[in-house]
Amino acid sequence: MDQQRKHTILMVSDFFYPNFGGVESHIYYLSQCLLKLGHKVVVMTHSYGKRTGVRYVTNGLKVYYVPWRAFLMQNTLPTFYLTLPIIRTILIRERISIVHGHQAFSTLCHEALMHARTMGYKVVFTDHSLYGFADVGSIHMNKVLQFTLADISQAICVSHTSKENTVLRSGITPDRVFVVPNAVDTAMFTPSTCRLSCDEIVIVVISRLVYRKGADLLVEVIPEVCHLFSNVRFIVGGDGPKRVRLEEMREKHSLQDRVEMLGAVPHARVRSVLISGHIFLNSSLTEAFCIAILEAASCGLLTVSTRVGGVPEVLPDDMVVLSEPDPGDMVHAIRKAIVMLPSIDPYAMHQRMKKLYSWHDVAKRTEIVYDRALQSSDENLLRRLPRYLKCGSWAGKMFCLVMIVNFLLWCLLDLWQPVESIEEVPDLVFIRNEHEDVVHDSI
Amino acid sequence: MSEAPIFHSKYSYHHDGKAQQLDIHEILVKRSRLGIFLSYFMVVVFLGTNVYFVTTKVFCILILTFFEVNIRSIWSILVCFLLAKFLHYNPVKKERVVIMPAFGVQLETHYWSGRIVRLFVPISKILSSMLNECVTPVTCYWSLALLLRDEGELMLVFQLIRFVQKLQPPLKMLVPVWKALRAAINCEETSIT
Repeated sequence: MDQQRKHTILMVSDFFYPNFGGVESHIYYLSQCLLKLGHKVVVMTHSYGKRTGVRYVTNGLKVYYVPWRAFLMQNTLPTFYLTLPIIRTILIRERISIVHGHQAFSTLCHEALMHARTMGYKVVFTDHSLYGFADVGSIHMNKVLQFTLADISQAICVSHTSKENTVLRSGITPDRVFVVPNAVDTAMFTPSTCRLSCDEIVIVVISRLVYRKGADLLVEVIPEVCHLFSNVRFIVGGDGPKRVRLEEMREKHSLQDRVEMLGAVPHARVRSVLISGHIFLNSSLTEAFCIAILEAASCGLLTVSTRVGGVPEVLPDDMVVLSEPDPGDMVHAIRKAIVMLPSIDPYAMHQRMKKLYSWHDVAKRTEIVYDRALQSSDENLLRRLPRYLKCGSWAGKMFCLVMIVNFLLWCLLDLWQPVESIEEVPDLVFIRNEHEDVVHDSI
Repeated sequence: MSEAPIFHSKYSYHHDGKAQQLDIHEILVKRSRLGIFLSYFMVVVFLGTNVYFVTTKVFCILILTFFEVNIRSIWSILVCFLLAKFLHYNPVKKERVVIMPAFGVQLETHYWSGRIVRLFVPISKILSSMLNECVTPVTCYWSLALLLRDEGELMLVFQLIRFVQKLQPPLKMLVPVWKALRAAINCEETSIT
């Protein structure tokens, strides 16, 4: 096997810059580190307002903002077959070898993986979230995931809990699922230069104020902690439908001077908010991984978090205090954290985080997954169809029909617009000199 | 100096660099006779079936329905003719870019009907030329554009024709034109400084 083999990867997701979030930053950092390793990476997403067409971001990362409108929660309208021409064009002109889809909630990702498999490309899928099994939305999402993962080359999950969740939801065999955790940009999240005094303890909360992130728990916990500890202050950053409840709680218990509400905090300002505190509080009810606590630990904060999902796998025991998602238990955990606080050294914590988590390590591990994916054999349609039949008695047959129609449409498209008529894009080489960035091309 | 012509299924590129210090680049469009024949044949077939329905009066039980069928036929004939025109009929014979060093660039469009449309851009007005990748919901293609001083929009070198048919020559034909335009603009800048 060629150890130095370089790949051309197409990252597909509905979620990318200019949106900010876990999936978006994962794709961005992973792509940058893969570029440094010598691979070629192209990102495909839908257009954001007037931002359509081809854009180049840092280090020559090419992004296709395909002009398909988002229809619900930043997802492209699911059209099944209408995205086939543009995806085929991009795969051929960029000489893609692997297609890497992100996030089960992204319709563009599912469609791209379906078309890529029809055309014989190797595909990898990364699941970033945990989903339930019982409600109607989850049942449908899981069926779609079953369809996509029925014929995947390899899958990646961000924690072992997430792997278990994905395997149960989709029925994929566990030996095809790799666990590659997220990481944090430790260069951006550094502790404060001056150490904060422990006379007044500041607890920081930064999250979307929604049910899933445990905003209701905060409403119970904050007044209790303020009552028990007179020297504790809270800083709450973030916005969402539950903000009203927190404001009401402040009014009811007269905590205006002890609870500061910042509203939505832009990603660039998160570090400055974090370094103003001693303890980071995460009250999520479900989390596949939780990059937020990594960022807090990188800034030297002691974390108090609910023991849900993949959170126990993220930080060592001396950097995090875990509790059940129950107000009483959380107050107890905050008390324990306040006692532990004098023994915490933010710089030592930051140095440990630098060694534990790095996007370069994530990229190297993902490279191994790509190498494994490319080793799987090429199979024609007839050999792949039985995998879809296992998805269910009715669903299996429908999925087979969908793939057969997709295959026929692809053959038709091949006749209408042959592969030879699609020009390949010349490689751009970015050369930096002292004063300016200069692009030289191989034309 | 002239380069060897480049051929493609739809377009062919010719370059003449010797003509009196002018640098002339031409892209010729091949006319697809089979395409035009098929499209009009389709129209004739559709027309024929409509006439058949009208004469056999399959739908005409009431007078109202008779009128409806007639209007429907006329409408469908019109639609078919327009579709045939849009799909296959390309009125452009060739596009020409004439680069006059230190003076300007002339963009010419020659039609099959004999009409020629010329557009002259003085060299002082051009900031740069660029190759753009354009993305549509179904495809990607390259286009050559000029960045002009004091203008909000890019000027496309190979233009939109009647807002429907657009020349989309391959990249290997656009590159020599782009290089020649850049050389002419850079010469002008160095001569000013």
